[in-house]
Amino acid sequence: MTSYLAATSLEEAVAALADGARPIAGGTDLVVGARQGKKPLPEALVGIHRIPGLNGIRDSDDGLEIGAMTSHAAVVAHPTVRNRYSGLADASALVGSHATRAQGTIGGNLMNASPAMDTGAPLLCFDSAVTLASARGTRNLSLADLWTGPGHTSAGRDELLVAVHVPAPPPSTGSAYVRLQYRRQMEIAVVGAAAVVTLSEGTVTAAAIAITALAPVIHRVAEAEARLIGGKANAAAIASAADAAAEASRPIDDVRASANYRKAMAAVVARRAIETAISRAGGAEVEIPASESTYGS
Amino acid sequence: MTIADSQPFIRPDGKEKVTGAGRYTADLNLTGQLYAKFRYADHSHARILSIDTAPAAALPGVFAVLTWRDVPAVLYGGYVQDRRLFAKEKVRWEGDVVAAVAARTPEIAAEAAGLIEIQYEVLPAQIDFEANAAAEAPLIHEQWAEYEADESVGLAGNILGHSSVVKGDADAAMAKAAIVVKSRYVADASQGAPIEPRAISAEWHGDKVTIWSSTQVPFAARSGVAHALDIAESQVRIIVPLLGGGFGSKCDFHFEAHIAALARATQRPVKLVFSRREEFLAPDHRREGMIIELETGTDPAGRLLARRGRLVLDKGAYCGEGGFFAQMAAMHACGPYKIDTINIDSYLNYSNSQPSGSVRAPTAPQACWALEQHMDEVATAVGIDPVELRRLNIIEEGDVGPTGQIFEAIGAKETLTAALEMIGYGQELPDDEAIGVACGWWPSFGSASGAYVKLNSDGSGTIITGAMESGTGAVMGLPLLAAQTLGMKPEDFSILYQDTDAGPWDMGSSGSQTTFNNGRAVIAAATEVRSKLLDMAAEELEAHRDDLVLAEGAVRVKGSPESHVTIAHLAGTGEPILGKGSGVVPDSPEVDASTCVGRLGLESFLAPQLMTQAVRVKIDRATGVVQVLEVAAAHDSGVIVNKIGADGQVYGGVLMGIGQALTEATVFDEEGRQRNPDLLHYKLQTASDAPEIQIRWIEIDTPNAGPNGSKGVGEPPSVPTPGAVGNAVAKLVGRHVDRLPMTAERVWNTLDAARAGTP
Ligand SMILES: Cc1cc2nc3c(=O)[nH]c(=O)nc-3n(C[C@H](O)[C@H](O)[C@H](O)COP(=O)(O)OP(=O)(O)OC[C@H]3O[C@@H](n4cnc5c(N)ncnc54)[C@H](O)[C@@H]3O)c2cc1C
Repeated sequence: MTSYLAATSLEEAVAALADGARPIAGGTDLVVGARQGKKPLPEALVGIHRIPGLNGIRDSDDGLEIGAMTSHAAVVAHPTVRNRYSGLADASALVGSHATRAQGTIGGNLMNASPAMDTGAPLLCFDSAVTLASARGTRNLSLADLWTGPGHTSAGRDELLVAVHVPAPPPSTGSAYVRLQYRRQMEIAVVGAAAVVTLSEGTVTAAAIAITALAPVIHRVAEAEARLIGGKANAAAIASAADAAAEASRPIDDVRASANYRKAMAAVVARRAIETAISRAGGAEVEIPASESTYGS
Repeated sequence: MTIADSQPFIRPDGKEKVTGAGRYTADLNLTGQLYAKFRYADHSHARILSIDTAPAAALPGVFAVLTWRDVPAVLYGGYVQDRRLFAKEKVRWEGDVVAAVAARTPEIAAEAAGLIEIQYEVLPAQIDFEANAAAEAPLIHEQWAEYEADESVGLAGNILGHSSVVKGDADAAMAKAAIVVKSRYVADASQGAPIEPRAISAEWHGDKVTIWSSTQVPFAARSGVAHALDIAESQVRIIVPLLGGGFGSKCDFHFEAHIAALARATQRPVKLVFSRREEFLAPDHRREGMIIELETGTDPAGRLLARRGRLVLDKGAYCGEGGFFAQMAAMHACGPYKIDTINIDSYLNYSNSQPSGSVRAPTAPQACWALEQHMDEVATAVGIDPVELRRLNIIEEGDVGPTGQIFEAIGAKETLTAALEMIGYGQELPDDEAIGVACGWWPSFGSASGAYVKLNSDGSGTIITGAMESGTGAVMGLPLLAAQTLGMKPEDFSILYQDTDAGPWDMGSSGSQTTFNNGRAVIAAATEVRSKLLDMAAEELEAHRDDLVLAEGAVRVKGSPESHVTIAHLAGTGEPILGKGSGVVPDSPEVDASTCVGRLGLESFLAPQLMTQAVRVKIDRATGVVQVLEVAAAHDSGVIVNKIGADGQVYGGVLMGIGQALTEATVFDEEGRQRNPDLLHYKLQTASDAPEIQIRWIEIDTPNAGPNGSKGVGEPPSVPTPGAVGNAVAKLVGRHVDRLPMTAERVWNTLDAARAGTP
């Protein structure tokens, strides 16, 4: 029998976690997974939706602070996210369906640690960090150090993700997240890629590229980034970086796609993400989500 | 009456369904109920050595554990009786039910089901349904020769059914043809995938059982229970609360007897609710995989001189109601075309995978997808536009069909013209877009059916029917016909339906025939009521019966409108005003099919429905992802009785057809286990994927058809869609994608092969 507590303060929540309870945010991974027989519901659950301050986006010159309980729908609707962190808006816009986006949270997405999660790659490319709180205290952790494997994080079982910090990118930065999907709602990334690119007079001064659903954890691809940084943002460089992203992938064969197809598609989505990030860096408007706007390109 | 004069009628069950107020079978709870859980086969093919239920029975909270020992030794199945409620000697697919548990909670039931110990001798899973026909292939049903089987089905070992269509000498004509084209296409199995997973509750009162079931065919479920439990049909009452879709997959008798047996053994009501996973795995009902080999010979202008074909269909482990598939597929390999000579063989083979059963237009979308792509290949070989080839060969009134049927007035050619006009065929398109066209056909099914109509004391009416509302709106549309007959408003009627103790026998929501047959029955019943009203009014108004008309809720004397009496007045006299009827079932057209084998009565198409769909698609060449942007659907379904309802069937059918075309397939591993029994990996189309769909009804007052000259509507809309999409994709890819569904990866591989020029 599962016990459930709806915590009304952070203290109450982390105390429950210290006693072995598991947090539940929107429940779209946890509950749906339990009903599908993936993993039974934990013995003790602590709801975190009533804790003040966990839900919402604080936007400052330094960057964004996104509360763990912020829904994907709220992320996509936020004007600053759309303009300056478009890659994250691209990702949240794709999550599941209208209902999933209204219910699912960014904290749940990151902590579920699926290699196919959509917000992971853009947040990684923005050099984001998370704040973890427990009865022992609070610490910040780079997102790159959070995921350790499919469904696994380096966070302690008593730690609650409180917020995600996204540092403000320099001017003339554009970002994008593109995934391969077979239908327009209720889909999970077959493969995906994010890019954050900063330009100065047509030259790439900074680039971050990460791949989704192509390895046990979402990760950046330094080789792909290296092929862009310092050079002109032209088609050859973009293609070369996209190829590097594909080469770094370790795709699986499953019912959704063969490894061979996934690898080839890695290059396609990486190219589209980089192209879109570059055009956004140059001030172009590309509709969100970029996956749809780059269809056929 | 045509569309022009039929008023739009909003279905009365719509609001409760969309607001969540409606009650489905799983919503029903009975005092003291237990929960059922099945123990399924652990292997796709294995001999059962022993079953030990004791560990399950010993679990606290378990009330009964049943196996084959606990039910009558009865075999069942539509055309071949090859299945038991519980597997005995062998399991033949992963969903075979070996045992059933009833327990205090669903959790205990599930745990107990897992505790049953079954020992097997595992046999190789025979998934390759084509190879299973080989003489040396081990038999899936060793006792096949002892089974009761319909003689014309053609059961022989692992071949459950064989049908052929033979017209003239196709070999000779092929040899003389100027152009000969051969193709091979393979379609994967797919699912009906209703959003409501099935549920059943059963409760006994003495020796009578009431069963609430999410079935599309309550009367077939009733006879299944009576047969399997060896009791009379009068002891079984099937009630269907609102049904959350079926798309054919809830046709046939499925699990009602298992639950009734549990309820009898425990003397308690028992409830079964399937998980989504079970809804995929356990029903002996999915759309069949198919291999389609076609060869066509034409004259230099493209006139079809000869068609040869060989079809192999995957029957899966058991017959169920799908024994007619070989014959139906053979007709769809001919298509709605004039062909001088034909020789098609069609086989329905057993395999160790999920049994196939009727899913919306069984066999047709796959066979049509192959045929229509083949037709485009023929057009290319002839050197004419694919549309020209169809215009040249499509059937018209007076033409002779594959089995000698002579067609009455039909609008096949008109559907072609209309679809092309709506889509703007021939327009300039960007280089990643193309238009594909496909034609198709589907029969209407004549069947006995019955209804009662009675008037209430305030002049409102009640229709009592055996027909089943699976969500198509067909039953919801019946008041239109009663109202039309009686000069009343459709809103004046309530409907009592989906209860086998109330309405007369009906074949259920299958074969697109509810309006066709039950509509006729309702009109017949309403006509009896009308006659009674006229008699009563004639007396009351002291007028001659022939001078009376019924309109606007009253009986009036023609020419003197003041002289009238309201229906409410007549109904309020207390005199019972009742009607019953079934009408005369239209006869199937005559055939001359003496040379055909495996004749199951489907070798002519009664009141054939004809359709053409043209689709505009866009391809993402880098990924192979195809989006359907626009569909133009032109259908001859005879006269349209209820336009809103008919349009709804086209919207849904087209979307289902797009799913079959692009994303929907059940994928099996080497052992015959489904790899994607969930709604994330079995990819239905969503509302966001829906293209713009334009509809045109070619209304031809059809003789020998349904009410008002109508034909069926429900199944045909998904028949030509995959073929039309396939033809559009082929224009963009440079060759035809020969596997269904045409998934992104398959399209991408075909693009690759086309570029490289490899076969
Ligand atoms: C139909 C459907 C479609 C989906 N499509 C997508 C998709 O396209 N892309 C995608 O990325 N995901 C998708 N998902 C997955 C899911 O919706 C997202 O991952 C969502 O963001 C999860 O958030 P949640 O609040 O519902 O998480 P929950 O289910 O509440 O939690 C998920 C996990 O994270 C833990 N957790 C939650 N919050 C915290 C916290 N603050 N601190 C520590 N641990 C925490 C929980 O204990 C649990 O283990 C889909 C899910 C469904 C059901």
